[in-house]
Amino acid sequence: MSGLTLGFIPLTDCAPLVVAAAKGLFAAEGLDVTLTREASWATIRDKVAVGALDAAHMLAPMALAATAGVVEPAVPLLAPLALAANGAAITLSNALIRALAVEDATPQATVTALARVVAERRAGGEPPLTFAVVFPYSIHNYALRYWLAGAGIDPDRDVRIVVVPPPRMVEQLLTGQVDGISVGAPWNAVAARGGLGRIVLRASQFWAAGPDKVLGVTEGFAAEDPSRLQALLRALVRAQAWADAPENRGELTALLAQPQHVGAEAEAIAVALEGELAFHRNAAAVPRIEHALWQLGQMRRWGQIGDEVDRPALAARVYRPDLAIAALASVGAPAQPAPPLARLFDGESFDGAPRP
Amino acid sequence: MRVLVIDPDPARAALVAEGLGGDDMPEVRQTARFDAAEVAAFSPDVIVVACDSADRDTLESLREAGEANPRPVVMFADRSEPGLAEQAIRAGVAAYVVDGLAPGRVRSIVEVAMTRFALMQQLRGDLAKAKANLESRKVVDRAKGLLMKERGLDEDAAYKLLRKLAMDKGRPIGAVAADLLAFAGILKGDAS
Repeated sequence: MSGLTLGFIPLTDCAPLVVAAAKGLFAAEGLDVTLTREASWATIRDKVAVGALDAAHMLAPMALAATAGVVEPAVPLLAPLALAANGAAITLSNALIRALAVEDATPQATVTALARVVAERRAGGEPPLTFAVVFPYSIHNYALRYWLAGAGIDPDRDVRIVVVPPPRMVEQLLTGQVDGISVGAPWNAVAARGGLGRIVLRASQFWAAGPDKVLGVTEGFAAEDPSRLQALLRALVRAQAWADAPENRGELTALLAQPQHVGAEAEAIAVALEGELAFHRNAAAVPRIEHALWQLGQMRRWGQIGDEVDRPALAARVYRPDLAIAALASVGAPAQPAPPLARLFDGESFDGAPRP
Repeated sequence: MRVLVIDPDPARAALVAEGLGGDDMPEVRQTARFDAAEVAAFSPDVIVVACDSADRDTLESLREAGEANPRPVVMFADRSEPGLAEQAIRAGVAAYVVDGLAPGRVRSIVEVAMTRFALMQQLRGDLAKAKANLESRKVVDRAKGLLMKERGLDEDAAYKLLRKLAMDKGRPIGAVAADLLAFAGILKGDAS
């Protein structure tokens, strides 16, 4: 079988790809896989679109946006597997934490105080606070916006939201170029361990078992050889089960810490692996249509897509739980029935129905 | 027209900048990292960015945020010439252009960048090969010296013996020489 090339970004949730390669799980499926570490999500998207990568670690909304045709190159993509649930967080700088002066550090108390600081800065003629996210089409962007907007902060007018590559977020927090970051593991833990800020909202608080990264492939790649795609998914779901097993955590942490993978200190990587990120348990590998609908709802809310996009049809086209479920069943680890969707941190429930 | 080259590899950036510089290309600048103030001050019409630069995602966001960026930037995707954008991505080059720029001018810039990226890769490959050759010659010389000492051969005979071993085993002479040196080390008790 000819070789496949898979791309990833240095983040803890690239683990399923790294484990499958390191543990020979691709080879066991007869796949000759090369992993390449990429420097940006834009390059991941472009290389998948032109076939320079056969599959990749991908932000879930990126697959939705490419298929909706709102980004170039508008190549239809599939998300046949969720790589992990949760893992991201929002971290605020020490200076901003001091300005908030909140004893009760719940996400809601924090953002209420944040709204006060935003108003004070505006009244005082100070520049708006700046927050960094990893990409416009990312759960990190939507979680930050949702959290801010819930306290009456307009993410487009009251603050600045900039895009910063994950490994650079920590230095920007250190130098004061940004006041807060919304990024995946391990970078919040790296910042917190370095004494540069405080984590104020974890993805697992924001929406337990919520979406983050998926495996992204083109529709063309999936259609060309469905059995090859299943082989790829089987190797990855085995890797996810391995990555979730507590007895493997030490080895997984060391593997991810290597410079060719995530290249961050092992102690920081261990933080999110300790109960935050889920790769396999609670059907974490199954991409849920409701997750796609929620993300599409946020894309609509913030003007990234218009009403002409048929969100239920798009969600069903891109998100393919059937493919993940088939792979899980064929490795003897049938997906548990998906647990009911958790409420969001503010008590809102999302039932999967698209909203205006 | 102003062109900004963003490339974490300074040697390659210089090569691209040199390729783009010319009579009809008045201003080319290169930088290792995207800096919003620098970009705003220079106000490039085209940004050529290496695919191995993490700054691509920040450039992407400029396409989203129209307000912060009064000169809308679009990713180069030449619909009139299908395949060029794809070739560029495969060559490791991405380009962002100010909306409305003549496609022909963008094409020539992207082509120069692609050529220079390929040239850099070839230069680096040649250098690695030259280093490996030099290393292999040193190893062969040492193995020859060992054979001359241990077997009482002259230099020519020692070389012929190595070459025969290489041919018998179907392996490069440098590899056979390295094995010989390693085994000699083991016999002398060097290996631990």
